[in-house]
Amino acid sequence: MQPQVGIGFRKEFAAEFMEGQSIKPDFIELAPENWMKIGGYWKKVLNELAGQYPITSHGLSLSIGSPEGLDMEFLKEVKKFLIEYDVKVYSEHLSFSKCDNAHLYDLLPIPFTEDAVNHVSERIRQAQDFLGRQIAIENVSYYTPVAAEMAEAEFISSIVEKSGCQLLLDVNNVYVNAFNHQYNAKEFIGSLPLEHVAYIHMAGHTQVSDDLIIDTHGENIIDPVYELFEWVVQRINPVPVLLERDFNIPELTQLNNELNSLRAIMGKHSQKAVIASGKA
Amino acid sequence: MLLKTETYQHQKTLAEYCRNGKEITLPGAITERLPHYRRLVFNIVNDSLESAFPIAFKYVERVHWNEMVVDFFSNHKCTDPQVWRMPFEFYGYVVEKEFHEKYSLPWLNDLLYFEWLEVELYMMEDIQYPLYKDSENWLGKLVAVNPEHKLIKLKYPIHKMNPKKAKENKGDHFLLLFRQKDSGKVQFVGLSTLYVFILENIFIGTKKLDEILNDVLYFFGINDMELLQKNTHSFLTDLKSKGFVLGIYK
Ligand SMILES: [Fe+2]
Repeated sequence: MQPQVGIGFRKEFAAEFMEGQSIKPDFIELAPENWMKIGGYWKKVLNELAGQYPITSHGLSLSIGSPEGLDMEFLKEVKKFLIEYDVKVYSEHLSFSKCDNAHLYDLLPIPFTEDAVNHVSERIRQAQDFLGRQIAIENVSYYTPVAAEMAEAEFISSIVEKSGCQLLLDVNNVYVNAFNHQYNAKEFIGSLPLEHVAYIHMAGHTQVSDDLIIDTHGENIIDPVYELFEWVVQRINPVPVLLERDFNIPELTQLNNELNSLRAIMGKHSQKAVIASGKA
Repeated sequence: MLLKTETYQHQKTLAEYCRNGKEITLPGAITERLPHYRRLVFNIVNDSLESAFPIAFKYVERVHWNEMVVDFFSNHKCTDPQVWRMPFEFYGYVVEKEFHEKYSLPWLNDLLYFEWLEVELYMMEDIQYPLYKDSENWLGKLVAVNPEHKLIKLKYPIHKMNPKKAKENKGDHFLLLFRQKDSGKVQFVGLSTLYVFILENIFIGTKKLDEILNDVLYFFGINDMELLQKNTHSFLTDLKSKGFVLGIYK
């Protein structure tokens, strides 16, 4: 199978992107919140995109870690969107962005506790039952733990196991967290249930002080994150890989170079895997 | 809920801190990093409001604007999962809290409403167009119009002039906003009461144009039907060229 490398589609680069010359992703990723229940100009763009690229989707507002119940009205709209655009992968963040029914529109860290594991797993199961599909849950970057009773890797692994969800492994987030919380990135990844990885995110970040990186998606991917990625792809089944670039967006040809770098790394190891298994 | 009160409390504490910025203590947290969360969350809200309301942002004094945003985000629970719709909740909050009185900005509610409608019309789901025939022969026919529109009344003509000038021109200012089909762009047109009357009757869709104009003669005490027909024809022709009037119903 050819490596599948996609890009998070942004309205900011829509015009150049639609010309189709400067960047050639295999698929695009959209946040359903920004594209569902809309019409007019952007709906036309969406339909055009859907005619040209497979779409995956990465949610922002489900808030799987919220204390309160799931917003079923919202989930109904998401489901409609996933069906309408034949979305193969629907992912969400292992975080909360709403509390006491107030949306914060950003990702906050869930306390790594046993009862949060149970609560979040139950909510993922509920959402999966309703959607009739597995959700890929993403390890998020976080700047401080909150009342942690267990390690992050154990928190994630338990939830994947209990909920039966897939894992979206954000390699940059692992790098960011390993730096911010001083742990070993490879050991961390090695302790996750890698057989459940269904999708990978890659991105750049911004170091704001000696001991803190902010996950801005506003820079190019740095070499140590590529290296970590290469280490990961040798340990998992081939899955789609997505480049996230949300701010400080460069020329699209530059982003296309990043897509090609990712393809090259995946290509290198997919061949090896085929030879090793004798299927050449 | 499988969540223990304790875990819930920690989440609530962090979320409230992001909303109001008031100092907290959280077990196990790296306190000096908490402000990053407040900053990131607040920037998203602030940026969304600034881009939804560029004119209001320009004309409200910065200190007052910031006070409104801080007050809103601290005290209002945003219910919409789609962040682009959040500015509508801000508008509602500003009206409810009567910030226009507090800051002596009588035009504020009108301006926020107008700017919000531009966003909403631009983004909202498509509405099915009626079955129509291209024609400018409206008399004796039901006029077909673009269904993606809003007709509103403002107290201050903030669509025509800057808010400071608009303040001196309080009155009844009618405005038609609509989304052009091909470009998706939102256009607006100022209207006199007479044309509001005509359009509202067209929207009801039961009277043919000549019947509507007969009513106009009666209600507005006009004698010259020929002139009224001529003026209405140019009004509708102009709206047709702008993509609002479509033609006649099939
Ligand atoms: Fe990610």
